[in-house]
Amino acid sequence: MSVFQYISENWDQIGPQVVTHLEIVGECVAITSAIGLALGIAAARSEALSTVIMAVASTILTVPSFALFGLLSIWFGLANPPVIIGLVLYGLLPVARNTRAGIKTVDPAVVESARGMGMSPLQVLLKVELPLAVPVVLGGIRQATVMIVAVATVGATVGVDDLGQTILSAIGRSTGTLDAVLAGIIPVAVIGILADAILAGIQRALSRGRVSVAAT
Amino acid sequence: MITFDRVVKRYGDQLAVDHLSLEIKSGEVVMLVGPSGCGKTTSLKMINRLIEPTDGTISIDDRDTRTYDVNDLRRSIGYVIQQVGLFPHQSVAENIATVPRLLGWPKQRIQARVEELLDLIGLPAPSYARRLPAELSGGERQRVGVARALGADPNILLMDEPFGAIDPIARERLQNELLRLQRVVRKTIVFVTHDIDEAVKLGDRVALLSKGGVLEQFATPEELLAHPQSEFVTGFLGEGPLVRRLALIPIAEVQLPAMNGAAPAASVGFEGTLRDALDAVLRSPDGRARVVKGDQTVGIVDADVIRAASMRSR
Repeated sequence: MSVFQYISENWDQIGPQVVTHLEIVGECVAITSAIGLALGIAAARSEALSTVIMAVASTILTVPSFALFGLLSIWFGLANPPVIIGLVLYGLLPVARNTRAGIKTVDPAVVESARGMGMSPLQVLLKVELPLAVPVVLGGIRQATVMIVAVATVGATVGVDDLGQTILSAIGRSTGTLDAVLAGIIPVAVIGILADAILAGIQRALSRGRVSVAAT
Repeated sequence: MITFDRVVKRYGDQLAVDHLSLEIKSGEVVMLVGPSGCGKTTSLKMINRLIEPTDGTISIDDRDTRTYDVNDLRRSIGYVIQQVGLFPHQSVAENIATVPRLLGWPKQRIQARVEELLDLIGLPAPSYARRLPAELSGGERQRVGVARALGADPNILLMDEPFGAIDPIARERLQNELLRLQRVVRKTIVFVTHDIDEAVKLGDRVALLSKGGVLEQFATPEELLAHPQSEFVTGFLGEGPLVRRLALIPIAEVQLPAMNGAAPAASVGFEGTLRDALDAVLRSPDGRARVVKGDQTVGIVDADVIRAASMRSR
């Protein structure tokens, strides 16, 4: 159990990295959820917009993360800002795609009866479509979160002092590489699994009576 | 009162509704009936402006519906569709409270109204108010749909094939319930169906439309069955319109000869219609049936009596 020994011996370094990691993930998930939700709503309303949004969001995902962070650091400097922006961009596809899908799966009869009773388009969205899409939207947020937790480690390449730093600094060492890399990976995995479990719990709790509960 | 004045709906070159003029009186049930593609649903949805007419005017109590704010208009009209469209994430009570909440009624008034409506449709509030739509049967869901449409006590109720997806036994029960409900609430009901039997059973008047939204005949069910105005109407009424018409004549309105001689084996209830009487007559070995009221025999009925009664009311 030399990994855990390594972690405890280096806790004064790894502890703050865990905190930084959590901060970055929290901010990115919040921002990407908000923007992704808005894009998903727009995509559900217009097929043309949907094509553009999904194409751009998928293209962003094909850019390697260290390249994207490096590119963004040209304009936003080193450390956290380019990484936060990059991670937000990565999270857009799952959130926007699921938001659109969630709205599209709402039974047209339910929407028609809502309109027929005199709900305005905004009321239909806020009181009927989004509440019914919540489980699917949360599925997208879960995907984005797990991805952001993992990819945030790459932020170390542009100088973010998160758990990626422990991994990065271990690479190329003559001895003890395995323990050091695992000392970075294990906390990342724990954060990812916990975040996913918490969101899954919220998803279940909010799925009362919903048409489709996405297992994604 | 709802007035259609030369209403036209065109989709491209397709004419869905062709210069429809109709006057629907307050408190009456008007059935829009016809084959698919006859524009009956389109006509219905133009009343609450889910579809806007291409030309012509629809007015409610002499006010052009286009002069209303569209959402205010819809909130003042009950709307029931075949798929019901209950909000699956909301309880029965929340569903019924939809329009009152949109109108900003105070909480207590809403709660009282919900309980009143649940009572009216025969689903007791203590066991139903908190259920989700998924926990109801098809018939119960449709009743909740009707209660939701009545939420803010609108004068007008639009019903688009509300019982179309329900099994025949439950459908008949829902039809009877609607008739009972209508005696209590006295709404102006516009009801779309493709089922002529349903139209004849529920309607005070029936508007029969043919393809392309042409009004073929607008008359009471009795009139429609006895005097179809066109070949199309005759064809749509199908086989045996006169037999069907018997279902509209209550036995109570018929002069019955008193029973003499041996009592016939078959019997029919005094509350029934001539159609029930005919059924009893056909069942009876001697072609006669007793008409019973409680445990009393009030007369007898046979083929001649039925024929005479049907001729007289024509």
